[in-house]
Amino acid sequence: MNKEAPLSIAERDFILNALREGVRLDGREADQLRPLKVSFGEEYGHVKVQLGKTSLIVRISSEVTKPHDDRPFDGLFTIALELTAMGSPAWDNGRQGDLETYVTNTLDRVVRHSNALDTESLCIMKGVSCWSVRADVHITDYDGNLVDASCIGIMAGLLHFRRPDAVVKDGQVIVYGLDERVPVALNITHKPLAVTFHTFDEGRLVILDATRKEEQASEADVVIGLNNAGDVCFVSKFSGSPVDAMVFVNKTNVALEKVKEINGVIDKALQADLAKRGKGGLAEQSRAENDR
Amino acid sequence: MVGPNVTLTPLSRADGSASYQCPSTGSNILGSVNAPVELPGRRDALKPEEATVEVFVKPGTAPAGVGERYVEGIIKTMISRLILGREKGYPRRGVVITLAIVGGQSARRGDSYLTLLPALLNTSLLALLSASVPMSMTFSATSLAVTSTGDILREPTAEVASSAASVHVLAFSSKGHLLLNESQGAFDLDTWDNVRERALAICRGTASYGSDGDVTMSVDVDGQPLEGTIREAVEDQVHRDYAWSIDAV
Repeated sequence: MNKEAPLSIAERDFILNALREGVRLDGREADQLRPLKVSFGEEYGHVKVQLGKTSLIVRISSEVTKPHDDRPFDGLFTIALELTAMGSPAWDNGRQGDLETYVTNTLDRVVRHSNALDTESLCIMKGVSCWSVRADVHITDYDGNLVDASCIGIMAGLLHFRRPDAVVKDGQVIVYGLDERVPVALNITHKPLAVTFHTFDEGRLVILDATRKEEQASEADVVIGLNNAGDVCFVSKFSGSPVDAMVFVNKTNVALEKVKEINGVIDKALQADLAKRGKGGLAEQSRAENDR
Repeated sequence: MVGPNVTLTPLSRADGSASYQCPSTGSNILGSVNAPVELPGRRDALKPEEATVEVFVKPGTAPAGVGERYVEGIIKTMISRLILGREKGYPRRGVVITLAIVGGQSARRGDSYLTLLPALLNTSLLALLSASVPMSMTFSATSLAVTSTGDILREPTAEVASSAASVHVLAFSSKGHLLLNESQGAFDLDTWDNVRERALAICRGTASYGSDGDVTMSVDVDGQPLEGTIREAVEDQVHRDYAWSIDAV
């Protein structure tokens, strides 16, 4: 199948007519996010994101591998997203659907190609060994806006993740365990996030963070990826009917506002988690400075 | 010994779901069940009079490989014996079980997958119960490692399992029958007998049957038997699910 059950005509009309009167099904404003909750697990890089009813788990992991021959100074970074029947009964296990390809591609462009993670910092020894960082996205509940939610999860995970320390001694690479040396945070150059808009009525109505039903009723979607500084790193108008250019211009400002808001939520969750870990942790014990 | 951490129906889209955290290996499994669902047209694999069981194991931090296919096979054969696939509404339909390893260590390349198997089995049972799929019986599963000195360790971590002489996974039905035995490594029959006895104690305790057929479970070194924990988790959930109607009266 790999396709959600389509909306009934009555339901579609209801959503559309409500939107024309400026009302969304869950009572939100057009430019309002659903309640966002970011929480971290016990391990480094284990993130749980809950955006309204959409929820997912991201796990970041790292291992030492050999770099690609053509880029001996670069480490590897992969984003793995697989839609399973867990997220929605409409998805088949082990079969790639259109949505999966689309979301993976968008995430690749927003996070990976915008160099959010500095892959050169993952190099251990030129051409011999480097870190391979992998972000696994597990969709646990699907209720629309997969791109934004996964993006939030991956960025929060990368910020939270600590890789084991590795040093080169006499041409030998030594990797220290997490309990031997203070693990190292990844080098994040900027924090890009995707913000998805959906349009209705030939682009006259534009809403942010659509639910699954709103997505199904919409005509087209517009994804804008940008960071806190307002640098646009990705713009996509993937499918559906045409959208007026002014939508892109106007909504970029809204997107910037939202990216700042979301990054604020992520930072707050990170601070709270680090404060919790800081007590009695290895980083605390091995600090050189003292209270005096 | 602390029992596993169990949550029933944590997800909203899937028909049934459960999360299970094994305290000694630290692995956290999230399972979902969709049943009965329409299966895509692979009619050659279907038995027309029964439901088809599909199991999918998704590792936490690595692409799926042979290890996952191996445990999927074990879980599928065992579960499809328990599901009443001929009940009304189930023939020609599918029961799709998806298990994701969302916490704890995933099995690395070359590691034994048996350490994760009991958690996967227990999660699939809980998820099936949460989806109210008809089953002939429930079960509980555990893993044991036998060290080279002959000590039996309960639910070993991957490190312990790799240095152990043999690793065993056993599952017992709610009637006390041995449902599954997967062993790895070298051992003799006496060792296996000891392993079976210990596993039975872990899964079902030293249960005694009352005259009315009620099972009373006693607590011993292994703490509360696994089956009791699973029973209680489901009981608690049912209690909470029906609480609104009690409140309303």
